[in-house]
Amino acid sequence: MPGASVIADGVSRCYGRSEVLHGVSFAIEPGELVALTGPSGSGKTTLLQLIGSLDRPTSGVIRVDGINVGELRRPALFRRSTIGFVFQLHYLLPALSAQQNVELPLAADHVGRRERAARARELLEEVGLGNRAAHLPAELSGGERQRVAVARALANRPRLVLADEPTGALDTAASGQVWRLLTSIRESHGTTVIIASHDVTLGEHVDRSLHLVDGRLTEPETPPRPVPGRAG
Amino acid sequence: MTAFTQTLTSLRHRPGRALLTALGTALGIGTIVALLAVSAGATQTAGKFVHLGPGEMGLFQKDASDPTTSVLPESLITTLRRQSWVASAQGLVLLIDALPKAPGAVLFGAVPNGFETGRMVFLSGRAYRAPNEMVVGTTLAQQMGVHLGQTLTVAHRRLHVVGIYHIGIAEQDQGAFIPLATAQAITGHTGEVTTIAVKVSVGMKLPAAERLLKRRFPGLTVITDPDEALRAGANGQLIQNMTLVIVVLALLIGGIGVMNTMLMSVIERRTEFALLSAVGWSGPQVATLVLTEGMALSILGAALGVVIGWLGAQLLVHALGAAAFVSPKVTAWVFGRALLIGILIGVLGGLYPAWRAAHLSPARTLAQH
Repeated sequence: MPGASVIADGVSRCYGRSEVLHGVSFAIEPGELVALTGPSGSGKTTLLQLIGSLDRPTSGVIRVDGINVGELRRPALFRRSTIGFVFQLHYLLPALSAQQNVELPLAADHVGRRERAARARELLEEVGLGNRAAHLPAELSGGERQRVAVARALANRPRLVLADEPTGALDTAASGQVWRLLTSIRESHGTTVIIASHDVTLGEHVDRSLHLVDGRLTEPETPPRPVPGRAG
Repeated sequence: MTAFTQTLTSLRHRPGRALLTALGTALGIGTIVALLAVSAGATQTAGKFVHLGPGEMGLFQKDASDPTTSVLPESLITTLRRQSWVASAQGLVLLIDALPKAPGAVLFGAVPNGFETGRMVFLSGRAYRAPNEMVVGTTLAQQMGVHLGQTLTVAHRRLHVVGIYHIGIAEQDQGAFIPLATAQAITGHTGEVTTIAVKVSVGMKLPAAERLLKRRFPGLTVITDPDEALRAGANGQLIQNMTLVIVVLALLIGGIGVMNTMLMSVIERRTEFALLSAVGWSGPQVATLVLTEGMALSILGAALGVVIGWLGAQLLVHALGAAAFVSPKVTAWVFGRALLIGILIGVLGGLYPAWRAAHLSPARTLAQH
């Protein structure tokens, strides 16, 4: 299934009197790998949450595959079918094993027990943790936990993966593994991937970057590179 | 990973808190079970003070505090015998705590050869004839090591044991029968009885006889079924009212306890619920998870409560000195009600935390973390 397109048109988000995003507009093609860079507090997380329907814009419109995500009546259903989240902190449930954590999005979708288990094991193999399926998060390293979180994000075969500082809490080696994983998702599944990071040097790993400062896109977008697997 | 399995996993992850919450619910439910069990036992026992066979009724004084404190004039027996629909009528005096060595045993004062005493099968000896004679039930005889010819002190009177009988009613086999006049002399109520057992004539239906009696003697409570016997006692009504109050209190206190624990749990685990929402769990799915957890805790509490209640009921009747004539009964109905109350506590206590969990803003919660 191809990745999802994302279009933001004049998106603002206010919390009380504080305006976090100011009329942000951009367009992302299906299957693109985009970095959303900027310093802390620039509005990257807010923008990702708006795209992922975790929050609603104060004004403006965000469309994912043409669907206005700010007006969804059942956003959880939309997230379940379209979005995969990877957060800076893995947010794995401590009482559940790696495999059970990966199964969570599938449980929401009432997928059968065997099918859930098979899919979770397949994804854990894909992120190199096939032999750690029965381990609790406390028994995994930081990098392994984040890889489980990536597997969880892919469980429902999302068309858009939103990663918020996915390597922010990891050392260099573990960061490299997670980066390679996120890049490979686009390569192998054609999924659209947006990665928020304060690291402005990400440009070399992604198709293009969007740079946010104080809630505004400050630089012209870097010209899009050809997306693998897409003609023209 | 369903809501149920996730609930079990979550409870196993916090065993101490789960057990303490369940224990809080268990105490409330235990109190209910203890009262219901004593009440059920008392109902059954009160019914057996006057054994009611087919076509028989027991008459008690209306609004007596309990069946044993009823006082009826003996002359009423003569009046009743004159009724065409009455085959026979017999007065009984019930004495509690009259045997110092068996304080829980009930002594029945009755005329010999009445239809209550006529059911006795004598294993040894005979029925009493003289005012200073008595007969003892098999169970009481075994408990006290009583034998024929022995003299027992009953309320400072010395009575000779002339027979050991078996009737097949636990309360009567655990007690003794003495002459009616002797019992009246002991109580100081000459010419009065505690209750009157009435056997209606063949062809007369009990409900019709009951209506006639109530119209003719409005100060009487008429029992036609042993299970109704608790009606005869205001104490029985008191137990039932008290049970209702305790049920309401248990629902409130247990519900608030579960609500408090579940709210704490929701606050502590808000990132977990926000994460579930982020990966696609709907509000109702998250709420179901919290409600299931609350109900699992309450059902566990109810199960513990039944055990605590059963033990509590035994202690209660011993503390009240009523162990010999009240056997607490944890019936299926008592157990069912405890379970139902447990589920209600879980649902009531879990509703608000479930609502809170379902309405958490994932964006705000995850950003705060």
